[in-house]
Amino acid sequence: MNFHRFKVAFHRLGSPPTFHKLCRLLSPWLWAGFLVCALVGIYQALYLVPPDYQQGDSYRILFIHVPAAWQAMAGYLVMTVLAVIALVWRIRTVEIMAMAAAPIGAAFTALCLATGSLWGKPMWGTWWAWDARLTSMLVLLFIYLGIMGLYAAFEDRRKGARVACILVLVGLVNIPLIHFSVEWWTTLHQGATIRLFGESRMHPSMLPPLIWMTIGVKLMFGAALLDRARNDLLDQDRRKHWIREVIGDKA
Amino acid sequence: MIPQLDYAFYVWTSYGLFALIMTWQFLQPRLRRRRIMAELREERALETGGYDDADA
Repeated sequence: MNFHRFKVAFHRLGSPPTFHKLCRLLSPWLWAGFLVCALVGIYQALYLVPPDYQQGDSYRILFIHVPAAWQAMAGYLVMTVLAVIALVWRIRTVEIMAMAAAPIGAAFTALCLATGSLWGKPMWGTWWAWDARLTSMLVLLFIYLGIMGLYAAFEDRRKGARVACILVLVGLVNIPLIHFSVEWWTTLHQGATIRLFGESRMHPSMLPPLIWMTIGVKLMFGAALLDRARNDLLDQDRRKHWIREVIGDKA
Repeated sequence: MIPQLDYAFYVWTSYGLFALIMTWQFLQPRLRRRRIMAELREERALETGGYDDADA
């Protein structure tokens, strides 16, 4: 009975008015959650955690860099799941969400690369090195940009979304490459410091801001995704009857 | 009070970029929505004949 209710509720999300309403309701809460997590995380990162004994204060960049890197990859996985659903079941709201995830993922990848460079210059003595981790992350940025470009190249948005979803699936091969690059090849980039399973090599006193920032960017990803998907839906459905009701509400 | 940090330029630039990108991600959809809503209201006004053109 409960499963049936869940199934019905899930299918209702495919209805544009219901999806639009859900985006409008959820987005402010996710933004609020992000703001709280980011403020706590940044306060801890800049004021509470001690400097590293080797890197000094430069390691504080990692409280931005690492959550951005994780989110760039997690965002791609979310986009892949959405792309599979969009290709198999052809649900338009899911297609829109898959395509809306690309610019946010690209922003996190660009942030990860930029903050990595800003950390690399004082620590490695160079802004950039063509090592496997950095290069595969750069490739991820190009894949995100490619998906955005391909989607925008089609006048028929649904056809564009379906073609871009196939590119999303092709680009998935890069995610394990990024993750395992530091194990498979000799890289300037360090190996995994924080592990979900097993002991982390980061001092426990440095973990809380990282956790706050990680949760924060995940909430922000969700909020930005809903905001963008809502806009795309409005744009695509501008001739539909339900949009008139939305404008009527706002007018 | 602003903390005095080693490598301050690199640290503050990173946090500044973070703030900039997050702000853009917040603002961009709102600006776009405002534009779409304005277009939709204009289209609706043209359809219903309630378009009040100041230059007419």
